[in-house]
Formats: sequence, C-alpha cells, structure tokens
Amino acid sequence: MCYKPKSTSRTQAAGRRLSFGFNPLALFPLLLVVGCAATSTPLARHTADFSGATSLVVDNSENAYRTAVRLHDQEQAAAAVAKYDSDKPWDPHTLKPLINAQGLQARSDVLDGLKAYAQSLADVTNGVDSPQLNAAATSVGTNLQAMGQTTDPTTGVTSGFITPEEANAASTAFKALGDYLVSRKIKSNVPKVIRDMDPQIAAITVLLNNDIAVIRRQSANDYEQLLTQQDTFIRKSGSALSPTERRAEIEKLPGILASKQSTDDMLAYLQSCLTQLALTHNALATAAQNSNADSLQQRIADLHAAAERLARFYFSLPTT
Amino acid sequence: MADAPPILKKPQTIDDYQALYDSLGRAYWEASDINSKDLVQGARESIYDIITDLDEAQLDANTALFLAAEPKIKQTCATLQKIQSDIANITKNITTAATVVDSINKVLGIAAMF
Repeated sequence: MCYKPKSTSRTQAAGRRLSFGFNPLALFPLLLVVGCAATSTPLARHTADFSGATSLVVDNSENAYRTAVRLHDQEQAAAAVAKYDSDKPWDPHTLKPLINAQGLQARSDVLDGLKAYAQSLADVTNGVDSPQLNAAATSVGTNLQAMGQTTDPTTGVTSGFITPEEANAASTAFKALGDYLVSRKIKSNVPKVIRDMDPQIAAITVLLNNDIAVIRRQSANDYEQLLTQQDTFIRKSGSALSPTERRAEIEKLPGILASKQSTDDMLAYLQSCLTQLALTHNALATAAQNSNADSLQQRIADLHAAAERLARFYFSLPTT
Repeated sequence: MADAPPILKKPQTIDDYQALYDSLGRAYWEASDINSKDLVQGARESIYDIITDLDEAQLDANTALFLAAEPKIKQTCATLQKIQSDIANITKNITTAATVVDSINKVLGIAAMF
C-alpha cells in the first residue's frame, strides 16, 4: 500500500527519500501476526502475585528471628538479675546472643536473596507492556508523522503526507514487534530459571523450617525460664514488695505464659507458610512449563492470605 | 518393660533433654516450698543450659548451610538480570528507531531551508 505525496516539491523529495526507507503501513501484516502479544500474561500475573506473597513470608521470617533473639537476650538479662546476689558468680561477658552476627547476616542474605529473586522474576515477566517500550513505540510514530510534515513558507500552512492514523499504526506495529520479541525472550528463558530454582527453593524452605523448629524450642524454654525467674523473684521478695506491687508482679505470670503460647503459634504458622511457599513455587514452575495454572492461582492466594495473617499476628504480639 | 519416665532416663538426644526439662518444670510448680522449688529449678537450669548450647550449635551448623545456599540465589538473580537487560535492549532498539526517524526528520528540515 502506497501513500500519496502532497503536491509541494519538498514533500515529493521527502517522499522519494522515504520510499527507500520505511513505510509504516507495511507493518500492518506484522501487527496481524504478533498483535496478540499479551499485555499482561498469566505468567506475569502469577510471578507478581508470587513475589508479593514471598515478600510477606520473608518479612515474617525476619520478624521471627528478631523476636527469638530479643527474647533470648531478655531471658539472659532476667537470669543475670536472679543470679546477681547468689553464690554462683555471674559475669556479664558470658552473655551470648542466640544467633551471632554472622549467622544473622547469612540468614538475612538468603531471605533478601529470596525476595530479590521473586521480585526479579516478576519484573522480567512483566517486561511485556513496559512503559519504556510504550514510550519508544509512540515516539516512532510521532517522529514519522513529523518527518512527513512541511510548512509552506509563503502561507505558513503545515501539511503532511503521513496522517495521524498512519503514525499511530506505525507506533502500534513497533509496540507489537517489541512485545513479541520480549515475550519470546521470556518464554524461552524464564521457565527454565524457575525450574532450575525449584530444588533450591525447596532446600531453603526446609532449612528455614529446621531453623524455626530450633527457635520454637528455644523460645518456649526462654519463656519458661522467664516465668520461673519471675515466680522466684515474687516468692523471695517477701515483705519487700507492698501488697499492690506484689499483686502487679503476680499478674505478670499469666501474661508471660500467654506470650509463650502466642509466639509458639506464630512460629508454628510460619513453618506452615514456608512449606506452602515451596509448594507454590513448585506449582509456579509447573505452570510456567506447560501453562497449566489451575492449582497455582489457589496456592498463591492461600500463601498470600496466610502470610498476611501471620504479619498481623506478629504485629499484635506484645514487644516487652 | 515400660520405659522409665523422662526424669529417670539418661538423656541421649535433645528431645530427651527437653522431656527432662519439661518434667522438672512440672515438678517446680508442684513443689510447695521455696527450698524445693530452688532445688528443682537449679537442676532445671542446668538442663536449660545444655539445650541452649545444643540449639546454638544447631543454629551455627545451619548458618553454614545458609552460606552455601546464597551463591545459587545470587547466580539466579544475575541470570534474571541478564534477561531483563536483554529485554531492555529490545526497548532500546525501538527507541533507536525512533531516534533515527527523528534525526532524519531534522536533516530533512535543514535541507528544506536551502
């Protein structure tokens, strides 16, 4: 299909030059071939949802480590108070964190890496329909239209041989071409990345689960120690505490027990979230491979809801 | 023969120590005078220290596994970044086309002035 040059000599010259180059309407067949490039593919939606849910699970895991370390510090401080005047010598240098700085850093790096992986996956698969691609494609059409325009110096009237519709068609065609190339890149690379990462995700979630099992036991014992230290303090204080003070101290005992239960519930729930995360990633790997996403959507929704509940639960816990 | 109660069994695993710790905990709350409570809690604290040492050792051992897992995640993130940069290149090529058209446009505009 050919355009019709306007009657001025300059546009004729421009038209001749164009005829050796680019005809925007020639891209229409390309539009028909690749015009179905998805603007938001199922994989893009799934990875975005997976990334959101993973981010929540990672935040909850980091909160769990913080809670456990803080609790253990608290227990050691309470034990120091209890031992201070006893015949057992107490040295503040013996205070030891539950997990040392290097251990916390290693966990934090893995958790941050997990979050970054899920986010990168979402970013890459959402490469189709990116604002940059849209802007670039739009500017092709705009520039083409400007190229076909000319202003008569005597009348000052501007006319053009590339209509806005033709320029828009060129922009759309470039957009379709870009989407096609991007989606081909994603389809040929991303499923393999997800599949290769699947055993790693499984191993990391097992490792995190093992960690949480240890933390659960230690936290329960730390609370038990706090409970008996508080009880011993009350009993040994005798008349040093006024009746009102004594009452207030006794009332702390059921509070410690309630915190023990809440923390254990939170950690148990986190363990189940981590198991769910591994299963969801596995479903994502399967869906990316054969586009069968029947159970994936449900798994992601479940994981997201569980992680959100856990976050709310964590923030409802007392901090002292 | 029935198993001995945890409090009488020689602990061999961390679960045995935990069972012993829990039993001593019950004994503490059942004891009626402060001296008995002190006695039980003294023993219980030793068990608590052993379990804490074992837990810390387990967490230390896990640290090594976390350190081993990290490079693979980094490598995968790098692979994804490479794909993303390839995708950015596709966008860049489209941008280049727009720039080329724009440049031709400018040259034509200059040529028209002569």
